[in-house]
Amino acid sequence: MIDFTEEQLERYSRHILLDDVGVAGQEKLLQAKVIIVGAGGLGSPAALYLAAAGVGTIGIVDSDVVEVSNLQRQIAHFSADIGAAKVESAAAKMQAINPDVEVRTYREYLCAANIRKILAGYDFVIDGTDNFPTKFLVNDACVFLNIPFSHGGILRFNGQTMTVVPGQTACYRCSFRSPPPPDAVPSCAQAGVLGAVAGMLGTIQAAEALKHITGAGELLTNTLLTFDARTMAFRRIRLKKQESCPLCGPHPVITELADVERTVCTVQ
Amino acid sequence: MQITVNGETEELQEPAVNLSRLLELRRVESPEMVAVQLNGEFVDMTNYPTTFLQAGDDVDFLYFMGGGSS
Amino acid sequence: MKTAIRADVFQDLKGVGCPMNLVKTKVAFAKMESGQILGLILDNGPPINNVPRSVIREGHEILSQEQLADGTWSVLIRKA
Ligand SMILES: [Zn+2]
Repeated sequence: MIDFTEEQLERYSRHILLDDVGVAGQEKLLQAKVIIVGAGGLGSPAALYLAAAGVGTIGIVDSDVVEVSNLQRQIAHFSADIGAAKVESAAAKMQAINPDVEVRTYREYLCAANIRKILAGYDFVIDGTDNFPTKFLVNDACVFLNIPFSHGGILRFNGQTMTVVPGQTACYRCSFRSPPPPDAVPSCAQAGVLGAVAGMLGTIQAAEALKHITGAGELLTNTLLTFDARTMAFRRIRLKKQESCPLCGPHPVITELADVERTVCTVQ
Repeated sequence: MQITVNGETEELQEPAVNLSRLLELRRVESPEMVAVQLNGEFVDMTNYPTTFLQAGDDVDFLYFMGGGSS
Repeated sequence: MKTAIRADVFQDLKGVGCPMNLVKTKVAFAKMESGQILGLILDNGPPINNVPRSVIREGHEILSQEQLADGTWSVLIRKA
């Protein structure tokens, strides 16, 4: 058992008090490794909450720099960070919240060539990417590497999320199959998004990571949770692992990782 | 004929409604941004015209949502 | 007969308020075997009103609870 310092006991007291987390759960968090893909709208709140929770090793992947238009929703980045690498900006805030945490930064654009190497060894992946090709790539890599992950997407006032336990529960491709045609996709810049919606969704994703690590509760698997912040209507859509899934079904046609042309949100 | 669309009961006024027509009736602007699930099973877009709804069917439109990072 | 019970682990939580007294109790239990006995000293007021109740909710058994001359409480708990 870890010998918690007095400061750690105080810092994690609200976790230790929870029957479903407790001392054992906090130990698991301190030993866990979670990687967040995208240090933006979803990745920011996820990164801050995971750091605060004492997740021992947190990886964060993003190739972009902070721009003023990010600040309306990407709460890990401050005005003074404009021009800085997003991964460095996020890492600084995570360390400032909790020096117990080791942050590993990957200032790279995820692609078929590097994703296995980057994700391998992590216990859980949070997808906070901004485009469909990368979302499908993260799904495929997690299925191949057998790493549970949280899918997340936001648009305008809406959010959606599901948790995937590869081999056991529906994957993203079970329901969504392949990226939509690029010309049909409204670009993030054109569509807009309510800043707090990013926080709502990224925070749900962080909670899923914490639940997976501690074993508390039930994961959001085989379920797509969607919400519309205009009415605050939340809906759970039952999903199931599909026999016809081209990736995780019994007759897969996708057997290796491949890049799909990056098309969405390339203009900031 | 009654079906369920996105968790809500809906009365279809026309006979022989297929999934393509249902997307029109529901004013889905870009069907390419929706995945359709019928009674829990994924339906490929190429099969929409030949998939006719029956009383009691449960249809979900799953919207592609991409944003997150930049 | 209470003098016959000996605590395997003892924690003096005098001056330790809520909820850190419960946090420290949980940490003590985490290091103990099932059936072992934890002895606690708890302040009068919220600590004695809350800690035993939380401990019972988690399935442990309160063996005795006795107020001492200085107003604090001595509590013996068997770990579930
Ligand atoms: Zn699948």
